[in-house]
Amino acid sequence: MNAFFIKEADFTQFLGNMIGARKVIGPKARKNRFVFDQIRKPEDLRLDYDVTILPPKKVFFPPRQELIRFHGQKGSSCIQPESTVLFGVHFYDIKAIDMTDHLFRENNMDFNYLAQRECTTLIGSNVQNIFKRAFFGSVGKGVAPKGHDGFTTKISGGYLYEVYTAKGKDLLAYGTFIEATEEQINEAREVNDSVMDKCPEKINHDSLEISEKVRSKFNSPVWEEFAHDCFSCGSCNLVCPTCYCFDVQDNWNVDQVTGSRDRTWDGCLLEDFSSCSLTGGSKENFRETRGSRYRHRIMRKTSYLTAKLGGPACVGCGRCSSSCTADIADPVNVINRLMEE
Amino acid sequence: MACDNCSCSKVYNENIFMPKEAVIVRAEMATASEKHFTLKWADDSPNYFEPGQFVEASLYGFGEIPIGYASSPTRTKTFDLIIRAVGRVSNALHKLEKGDTMLLRGPLGKGFPLDKLRGHNILVVAGGIGLCPTRSLIQYIIDRRQEFKSFNLFYGARSPDDQLFLDDLASWRKAEDVNYHETVDRGSDNWKGNVGVITTLFQKTEIPNDTRVIICGPPIMYKFVLMEIDKIGIPHENVYVDLERRMKCGVGKCGHCQINDKYVCTDGPVFQYSQIEKLEEAF
Amino acid sequence: MSDKVKVAYFDFTCCEGCQIEMTNFGDAAFLELLNHVEVVEFREAMSEKTTERINIAFIEGSFSREADRARLEEIRERSDIVIAYGACACTGGINALKNHQNDYHEEVYGKDAKMPHLDSQIALPVSAAIKVDYNINGCPMDKDEFIRVVSHLVHGKQPVIPNHPVCVECKLRETVCRYDQGDHCLGMVARAGCGAPCPADGIPCEACRGFIDHPNEESLVKVLMEKGGLSRERAETRSRMFTANCRADAPEKIVSPNK
Repeated sequence: MNAFFIKEADFTQFLGNMIGARKVIGPKARKNRFVFDQIRKPEDLRLDYDVTILPPKKVFFPPRQELIRFHGQKGSSCIQPESTVLFGVHFYDIKAIDMTDHLFRENNMDFNYLAQRECTTLIGSNVQNIFKRAFFGSVGKGVAPKGHDGFTTKISGGYLYEVYTAKGKDLLAYGTFIEATEEQINEAREVNDSVMDKCPEKINHDSLEISEKVRSKFNSPVWEEFAHDCFSCGSCNLVCPTCYCFDVQDNWNVDQVTGSRDRTWDGCLLEDFSSCSLTGGSKENFRETRGSRYRHRIMRKTSYLTAKLGGPACVGCGRCSSSCTADIADPVNVINRLMEE
Repeated sequence: MACDNCSCSKVYNENIFMPKEAVIVRAEMATASEKHFTLKWADDSPNYFEPGQFVEASLYGFGEIPIGYASSPTRTKTFDLIIRAVGRVSNALHKLEKGDTMLLRGPLGKGFPLDKLRGHNILVVAGGIGLCPTRSLIQYIIDRRQEFKSFNLFYGARSPDDQLFLDDLASWRKAEDVNYHETVDRGSDNWKGNVGVITTLFQKTEIPNDTRVIICGPPIMYKFVLMEIDKIGIPHENVYVDLERRMKCGVGKCGHCQINDKYVCTDGPVFQYSQIEKLEEAF
Repeated sequence: MSDKVKVAYFDFTCCEGCQIEMTNFGDAAFLELLNHVEVVEFREAMSEKTTERINIAFIEGSFSREADRARLEEIRERSDIVIAYGACACTGGINALKNHQNDYHEEVYGKDAKMPHLDSQIALPVSAAIKVDYNINGCPMDKDEFIRVVSHLVHGKQPVIPNHPVCVECKLRETVCRYDQGDHCLGMVARAGCGAPCPADGIPCEACRGFIDHPNEESLVKVLMEKGGLSRERAETRSRMFTANCRADAPEKIVSPNK
């Protein structure tokens, strides 16, 4: 590992140089929340953010994306990656990106995601403020963040920058970095370790144990109970860093000849997600009740994907809990409850 | 297209959502609502697919729908698709005629495990439009009849007018090496055959318990056919079902076809019954 | 597309704001659309009237007088496709606010309350009188959605009318939730399709496009009280502005053509 140090006073200049040379996306304030957006001025970068409304997966997997552009019945692929630095991603979102990387890669390589992913330099940053609904300290503890190119940690007097790849190393050219000392490396490790115990919410059991027990609770009345107030609004899906379901629709442009085949984020909590026109001519919704849809999401996070991903498909960011107006989406509540049954 | 100024300078030509053109060489209505298309790839590329696999059929502007191959890969020059007009895409596809182009992505999914069927007694139970994907296997078995032992084929339709592939049915009725049984839920004045649900066909013939069984039909049918299978005592690992869900992307990404932890489009659509019978959302 | 699609516009009880919105299009998008459709009747923009066959009839305004039924039936009779557009036509809209009151006549018109032209029934969507094929919801209706629906119909494709709530569209554009701003909102039960401009501008969604197919009204009241800080009475009536005919307590349930 290569670890470097940059003084607080030099950090702004580093950002300025990087922004001047590269397209940089990082956390920015939006009203009283934060979003990942293009950073145009160093002072817009808010590394003190707690969590963003949408996770950074949107950089590779935009909420709405053209898959194919067509002219009459002739289509052309429109995969156009753009070299990007995604800066200031918290470790839990790095874990999530590693999962979506795997899911878009397995079976069929989806370059509509992977091209932009490969052209992105992914740089993490330490959690300076903990989100009020976060529980990242107690979920998927065995899963280490990986797949990023570098990681910054705020320590005394400046930032420690750990470099993991050539893409991460490239950024050294934009600032005045010096070799980090042993003490600085240790301090950074302590800074990152210390947030793990400070989450306001906590899952009480081990992921593997949860995976098995929750799976066995398929027919529990708990699902309908939790889903009683559910609006089926899909917010919990849409803000989730590991959700990756989408819908595909074709649209014409106003000329009525050209158009595009687009994918848009979808969510399994939405009523029509599993509804299907059957060849028998009838319509069937394979997850008709709110409870069955609610259950599917929790099962996906705790159990269904664990074999594939080597851990739960939840990183404890707390976005779903806070985006749920009815406040029923929090995985901590439903998992702890099921584990105690 | 290449990345603009990235050091990787890699070119991304591959897009799993990009369909290929196929030319319609024959198109005719099979029933009042089903149209039978015979196609070949526009670039003359050969057919390589397994019976039971499917394609995403589309027209730009209208969208895509999953359709199972209805012909056997042993018939190499062309392939068949049966499309029932039920929604936006299928209604648009119905307007296509001979000489027109259809856009297809595939073959997709896992088909019937031919290696596990060869050398065994076979029973195919097809209900309604479930005959389309199974016809792919039926033709395959008929074309390579010596590779299989006894071949029982059950077909149930709603009414005589709903019967598909009338030429095929006529030849199966006469064929000596196909033990073909058919029924309709509702008869008509001209109908002289069996009337009743498909399970009544199990009384017409003896099915040995070492038979490999393939089932494809409307969701309601599986439960009752599987009860008959249990009565005969056929182990569930020898039973294969062809499932239908909303397979929107066909490549295991979009999530719409999930049954518990399975993606029907990539883990199926053909499943060994023993592998999914414990899945609460399967039937 | 050698034969242009013949379209006509009709209005009933409404402010005609949606027709105005249509003439406001004025931009390239709308003019381009005119290459594919022929407008044969449009009171807000032209004086011609027609009795010929219409491919698509756009009806604005709610059905609020029994006397209008014959005219609606006549439109249905000579049209291939009938589209209700704008909140009044789709759900009864704001007009339906009167449906749960009985003293509004005196309140609004005073001594003129008994005048014959003021004699009206409750305000209902157009679908209460005739079969409507599609709704283009909203107050006013959304230009982009209008163009999308028409372009689909020009190609003979059933338009896709969303059955997901406005929350989805706020998330897709990463709008800060009204509830995170200490406000309230009806986005959780409101039918999307508008692109959620109001919450993005800091205004709660009023559900002007009506409800999704299965709104959780019980939960809405709870959230409006617990998170939105509304009194029980206010929480229970809050969604009435545009959805009086969609709510569980509606005098007459609307027939939704969206499915």
